[in-house]
Amino acid sequence: MPHETGVGDRRAATTIARTTAKRAARSGAVWGTLFGVLVANEALSYHKNFPTVASRESFARTIGSNSALTAIIGPARQVDTIGGFVAWRVFGLLIIVGAVWGLLTATRLLRREEDAGRWELLLAGRTTRRHAAAQAIAGLAAGWALLWALTAALAAVAGARPTVGFPVSASLFYATAATASAAMFLAVGALASQLAPSRRQANGLAALVFAVFYLIRMVADSGTAPAWLRWGSPLGWAENLHPLTGSQPLALAPIVLFTGVTAGAAVILAGRRDLGTAILARHRPASASTRLLGGPAGLVIRLERWVALSWIGGLAALALIFGVTARSAAAGNVGVAAITQQLGRLGAHPADPAAAWIGYEFVFLAALLAFAAAAQISAMRAEEADGHLDNLLTRHLDRGRWLAGRLGFSVVFVLACGVATGTGGWIGIAARNSAVGFAAMMQAGLNAAVPALFILGLGTLLYGLAPRLAAPILYTVILWSFLVEIIGSSITSNHWLLDTAVLTHLGPVPATSLHWTAIAWLTGFAVIATLAGLAAYNRRDLAAA
Amino acid sequence: MVAAIRTEGLAKSFGATAALRPLDLEVGEGEVLGYLGPNGAGKTTTIRCLLGLIRASAGRADIFGVDAQARPAQAHRRLAYVPGEANLWPGLTGRQTLHLLGRVQGKIDLAYRDDLIERFQLDPSKRVRAYSKGNRQKVLLIAALSSRADLLILDEPTTGLDPLMEETFRQCVAEARQRGQAVFLSSHILSEVEALSDRVAILRAGELVEVGTLAEMRHLSALSIDATFDTTPPDLSRVPGVTAVDVEGNRVRCQVAGSVEPLLGVLAASGVHQLLSREPSLEELFLAHYGREPAAGVEASHAA
Repeated sequence: MPHETGVGDRRAATTIARTTAKRAARSGAVWGTLFGVLVANEALSYHKNFPTVASRESFARTIGSNSALTAIIGPARQVDTIGGFVAWRVFGLLIIVGAVWGLLTATRLLRREEDAGRWELLLAGRTTRRHAAAQAIAGLAAGWALLWALTAALAAVAGARPTVGFPVSASLFYATAATASAAMFLAVGALASQLAPSRRQANGLAALVFAVFYLIRMVADSGTAPAWLRWGSPLGWAENLHPLTGSQPLALAPIVLFTGVTAGAAVILAGRRDLGTAILARHRPASASTRLLGGPAGLVIRLERWVALSWIGGLAALALIFGVTARSAAAGNVGVAAITQQLGRLGAHPADPAAAWIGYEFVFLAALLAFAAAAQISAMRAEEADGHLDNLLTRHLDRGRWLAGRLGFSVVFVLACGVATGTGGWIGIAARNSAVGFAAMMQAGLNAAVPALFILGLGTLLYGLAPRLAAPILYTVILWSFLVEIIGSSITSNHWLLDTAVLTHLGPVPATSLHWTAIAWLTGFAVIATLAGLAAYNRRDLAAA
Repeated sequence: MVAAIRTEGLAKSFGATAALRPLDLEVGEGEVLGYLGPNGAGKTTTIRCLLGLIRASAGRADIFGVDAQARPAQAHRRLAYVPGEANLWPGLTGRQTLHLLGRVQGKIDLAYRDDLIERFQLDPSKRVRAYSKGNRQKVLLIAALSSRADLLILDEPTTGLDPLMEETFRQCVAEARQRGQAVFLSSHILSEVEALSDRVAILRAGELVEVGTLAEMRHLSALSIDATFDTTPPDLSRVPGVTAVDVEGNRVRCQVAGSVEPLLGVLAASGVHQLLSREPSLEELFLAHYGREPAAGVEASHAA
């Protein structure tokens, strides 16, 4: 019937948009909740952290004179007010995380789909390359909309409390500013997906763009460059919105323009290139070297080396930044009631504020390291789901040997991350003449690797029992731990609930000595879970995606 | 002599669905067994059980006397496998992939590998991601054949190959057979199976319905008869053993199973002018087993 055909046509014409939107929305919902919880937590805990005017003024003076912190997470404006504090406290973090979320989501749903051959199937339908790309970008926009909506909703709920008192419009504008980088980098990721010949390279290209913009913004905020330089970076544009501290809606114009032009360029380029090719065609000849291809151990090093080195380098760099800023940050933050309470709960009663601060920050690095460990289990599962593993396990190679070797690489990788984190932190601290020694920082780094080892053990067990569920469960466990770590002690004193978070059991080394009992429990569980996982893996069917 | 493959009551279920019903099968050394069945019949499930990639629900599978379920790595020592889908590491070149697979296999005839690269016209310097489907399949065929393994397990091995390369593949399998290698060939291409196989096994809905040489199968199957008469043909539908009678003017086509004597008697008495009889092709044998019955969709969803 004509009516039904019309409906069918419309549905067919928007299939790609709906499919992409569904997948982007899942991730947008998770990160939107996290963004919203972070904002709400800062708003709701403000009066607990700064109960007196004097404490607010003292904090504002410390932060205002801290050029290192300003360069890293952006300038502080009116931090002696609740609006200024909330805007400063998590805004810089949300801009960075939002940008990374945007670029990874876009390349995952565009270039990875093309790499896997699924894009080809969609293009065989009643669409064109250009139209399909436009639809996919519309789907990404829906994912961003959910990210914004959840951030805005939770900020508005917290803002409505009498102790906070943000107008709804201010909360909505804050969410817009906090997720502006996500929108811009969704577009950057979409463009990189047209320019680069694989998802990995698209990620690299988009990350390079992010790094350049971040550096420009960093230099602009360091106080050594003219203020107009901030307009040279889209990350600076987001800062110029001044949410909760005298909103500047006009500064949205370059953000909207940049997002629109970049997304438009992605659509045009998608129409101009052949499927499976890239605008920046690779002319580099393939390497003929067979180094590291003597067996499965070498293969995993070859496949994972750049990912591993990126994690190691990234964690070392972050630890270095924490080390450099430890003294000045401690002066401003260790007095904050929530952090002091958190440190106390973790067993630290700091005599040295810098050590306390670095110990507190290393708990967050431990969460990142746990993500790196979960990504290892995810990569293992991908080897099996993609059918690559069949090529090895149908030859003279035992399943258990393969998994043990693969896990061996992951353990070495996690420990290397721990060593790099400790070393980076020590270099940073030593550069600012803080009195925390190399041995203490190395302990801190390896301590941060303990939850990652726990995740590897749990991941192996899940991989052996239910491979399809392993990665989702692991990421949920880490996210839960992270949330409990951030807000758990503010909202409950129920230690049973707090103990469900693996990060809770870590001591904030170097502010405390190592919690040997907790380390023994966590690593002991990891060993037993690994052995059980190996046994289960040996008994189960290999399963495709 | 130890059989290359021996299964006893080998079965696999996915939940309540029986993908493979108890299977008793044997492939001798130097024998080529064609393994036929429509989509979802259980061919890939059988192969994945033989390789120990999935756990059998019941029964046993031995490769040269080694229990493939209990000790898969040892069973793999004497076999090479080519899957129907060439899932290779996209960042490696063809040569790097062949090197890696050869090292994991543990045994490789380098001169033969170079010869195969030439015969299959593969450019090994390209990355796998730049290969067509057929070229990726060639990489796996070369890796398996150059191992000179005593048993080749091939699951739809010519997927994506052009007719010239398919001919090269047939020559290679024939050479392997001459060298005494056993081949377990699962294929949809009936002409390929007919040309290469010593015996054929036919699977339906997870159950082995026929196994034997083509000659044995033909002997047990109906003959195709095509008779032309001077006048109106007689009614052959009541003759014992005769089925599928199709009358077109003075011409009759039918199938006859068992003794042809009753049919010949009727034809001779009815003034037959021309008589042609033909043994069924493998395609006809295959279709006779499946007829118009729908195939079970088990393998496609679980193990394809």
